Amino acid sequence: MNTVVCMKQVPDTETLIKINAEGTGIVTEGVKWVMGPYDEYGVEEALQQKEKFKAGKVTIVSLGPDRAIEAIRTGLAMGADTAVHINDAAFYEKADPYATASALAAAIKDLEYDVIFCGKQAIDDDSGQVPAILGELLGLPVITQVIKLEVADDKSKATVTREVEGGHAIIDVPLPAILTAQKGLNEPRYASLPGIMKAKKKPVDVKTVADLGVSVEPMTVIKEMSLPPARQAGKIIEGEDAAEKAKALAKALHEEAKLI
Amino acid sequence: MAEKFVSERNLRFLLYEVFDITSLLQYPYYAEHTPEVFDMILETALKIGRDMLYPHLEEMDKTPPEFVDGKVKVHPVVRIFMKECGQGGWISAMAPMEIGGQQLPNMIGLVPGFIFGAANYSASVYPGLTTGAAHLINSFGKKELIETYVPKMFAGEWQGTMALTEPQAGSSLADITTSAEPTDQGYYKIKGQKIFISASEHDGVENVIQLLLAKIKGSPPGLKGISLFVVPNKRINENGELVPNDVNVTGIYHKLGYKGCPINQLSLGENDDCRGYLVGQPNKGLAYMFQMMNEARIGVGIGATAIASAAYYAALEYAKERPQGRRLTSKDPTLPQISIIEHADVKRMLLFQRAIIEGSLSLLLQCSKYSDLEIVLEGEEKEKYSLLLDLLTPVAKSYPSEMGILSVSQALQCLGGYGYCDEFPLEQYYRDVRIHPIHEGTTGIHGLTLLGRGIIRKNGKAFQLYLENVQEVIRRAENDPELKPYGLELKDALKRLQEVTSHLIDVATKEGPDLFLADATLYLEFFGIIAIAWQWLLQALSVQKALKNKDGLSEADANFYQGKMYAFRYFFGYELPKIEGLAKRLTNGDGLTVEMKADLFSD
Repeated sequence: MNTVVCMKQVPDTETLIKINAEGTGIVTEGVKWVMGPYDEYGVEEALQQKEKFKAGKVTIVSLGPDRAIEAIRTGLAMGADTAVHINDAAFYEKADPYATASALAAAIKDLEYDVIFCGKQAIDDDSGQVPAILGELLGLPVITQVIKLEVADDKSKATVTREVEGGHAIIDVPLPAILTAQKGLNEPRYASLPGIMKAKKKPVDVKTVADLGVSVEPMTVIKEMSLPPARQAGKIIEGEDAAEKAKALAKALHEEAKLI
Repeated sequence: MAEKFVSERNLRFLLYEVFDITSLLQYPYYAEHTPEVFDMILETALKIGRDMLYPHLEEMDKTPPEFVDGKVKVHPVVRIFMKECGQGGWISAMAPMEIGGQQLPNMIGLVPGFIFGAANYSASVYPGLTTGAAHLINSFGKKELIETYVPKMFAGEWQGTMALTEPQAGSSLADITTSAEPTDQGYYKIKGQKIFISASEHDGVENVIQLLLAKIKGSPPGLKGISLFVVPNKRINENGELVPNDVNVTGIYHKLGYKGCPINQLSLGENDDCRGYLVGQPNKGLAYMFQMMNEARIGVGIGATAIASAAYYAALEYAKERPQGRRLTSKDPTLPQISIIEHADVKRMLLFQRAIIEGSLSLLLQCSKYSDLEIVLEGEEKEKYSLLLDLLTPVAKSYPSEMGILSVSQALQCLGGYGYCDEFPLEQYYRDVRIHPIHEGTTGIHGLTLLGRGIIRKNGKAFQLYLENVQEVIRRAENDPELKPYGLELKDALKRLQEVTSHLIDVATKEGPDLFLADATLYLEFFGIIAIAWQWLLQALSVQKALKNKDGLSEADANFYQGKMYAFRYFFGYELPKIEGLAKRLTNGDGLTVEMKADLFSD
């Protein structure tokens, strides 16, 4: 089974995020970059499907600047076969979900695939829109929040379990399709040392957006970015007994918090 | 628990800036590797440490191995981790490619050991021991022995151990009595008892392979009659099945710390059916075993430093968050309290830890570099690095082990009462780190090794080489206006080292070994402090180089280098002066401990 995995390199969840001076983005200096955690489930699922079918190719496609190669190599070290790196820092800087999906679609359209995996969202901007736009651009069905996947032996369709509010939905979908990976789909493997050694020899096709013939402009711009306000210190309600404390609480909720 | 347990930045600093690991890539043996490979190894090890090992740190302490019906049950993560270390190639990382390893330099090979040890020391021991045992079989075993055991050990399916100690023979290996009786079947019948054998039986693997010292019947007494055997807990029968090999666990010990890994008491050949397979030549066992022991000693240094690192980050996180007290100059009790990290004494405790941890790690990487150069070079150059490694191994084992305890103690102290309670991991780290001056040769034994063997070996050749290496760093420092005063301090310290050493050699000639070696442990301490000062000066040279391009540095890097300089200055200002007291004692020569009679310890 041939699969494509869309992968974004994102700041590690443990990195301390700072907003830049212009208030338009984050300070990228000193940030530790990793493969998007949901994309990692996608890579793992692609590898498991390839192992199950004992044939096929896993291709990672990533839009990002030079540094994105590190996350691409991680995917190759996990076992992916090849990669396309859309290395275009200027485009990436401004890219919104539409522009990103356009670039990915242009890179993917000539690849062979039965399934395209995406993470359900990137953990940096959390927009969660790229897979849906990609589906629209490629004319493919999109199933989001996938936690289980069973592909038919002839690869013509798949039965997919997706997480929905309060339960699960089980859906049959014709292939090829785009599936977005949710936590629970699998346990991503760690790169192995032999895998790391092999990864450096695996082919990475580096392209610019112009090479791909993409000339779209982003449809949205980030006007302002700010950190959530710091949490206010809590207040301990004093009082002789429960009744008095309740009275003081009600008063505080009414007068200070203006909630009641 | 604190988020951080090791400093990735410091590891990169040491690997790339101080020890220039990429310089090894010029040698054909390491030419397959690239800096990207090293980076990915570092990243992956951090991930495994953080996600697989660290979450089980406390649990493995609170639910130690259980001995039930002759079997030892360990935490389930041991099996998962051993499998990962096998499949992921971590056990065979440094082994040559021709036997299925990744042929990684020891310098980068040290990194996963350090990261795993900081995340969860007990867990890190299982694959570490297996690496050493497999390497021993590879180095000295016959082809058949290698083919039978090594692939399974590399795969993490079979555990490796080192089985030396016996009830009556701990530090004194000459007194072991486990016997090996030759048969005409190609194997030996093993009989005897071993104690304190780490991971020598557990349910995290399919089989355990003891690398065991025993005496072949009729062999000479003492160290010259010791042979090395492979003794599997389960042997392979004619049908290729694993069957019991009469290796019986008679008990497990209840330890102070490092509880996640069992140390067992073994009885071998109770039913006269324990088969051992000779490794190499008869009576050469101890020499072979020294290969594994020396690797394990570096491993102990790494383990001690790793635990101290985890304790430091726990203390640091607490010190930043815990408000307590006000500035000494503040007279207003209504002002909010300040974080304890603002107090000079707390900063002193934190700097002390950094000085120990980062100095130790540097010495360990220095030794690993010697070990790499020994592999790739030939002739005189090869011998040079082999001698330096041999000389410094007792120091690289003992300094981190002894000082690691004090470092963790200061980390615990930063938390005050909370440090003493099990809501925070400090009390566990304190217990865990205590093993290190004991296993793989006690500090006392290493003192004897350094002074009684290392220094005088080959007419002091290794010592001379060491002095030259330190002098080289001093010369470089003297050319840097910022570092010149420290270079001079180290020069003085090195002079003291030479004076004390010649004095002691004089004592050896005139008074004999008793007086010469009476304070060998203190000599090791004295030597260790100077060696760490050397490593700190080496680091400071790299820091100064980086600071030359000050404007190009990110805020994080600028802070890192400035912090490094403070830790460096701390070592020279607070630790290095301790050699004066030690030098005074070491040149006193009154023989106080030699003279003191055992009978006088009546009260």
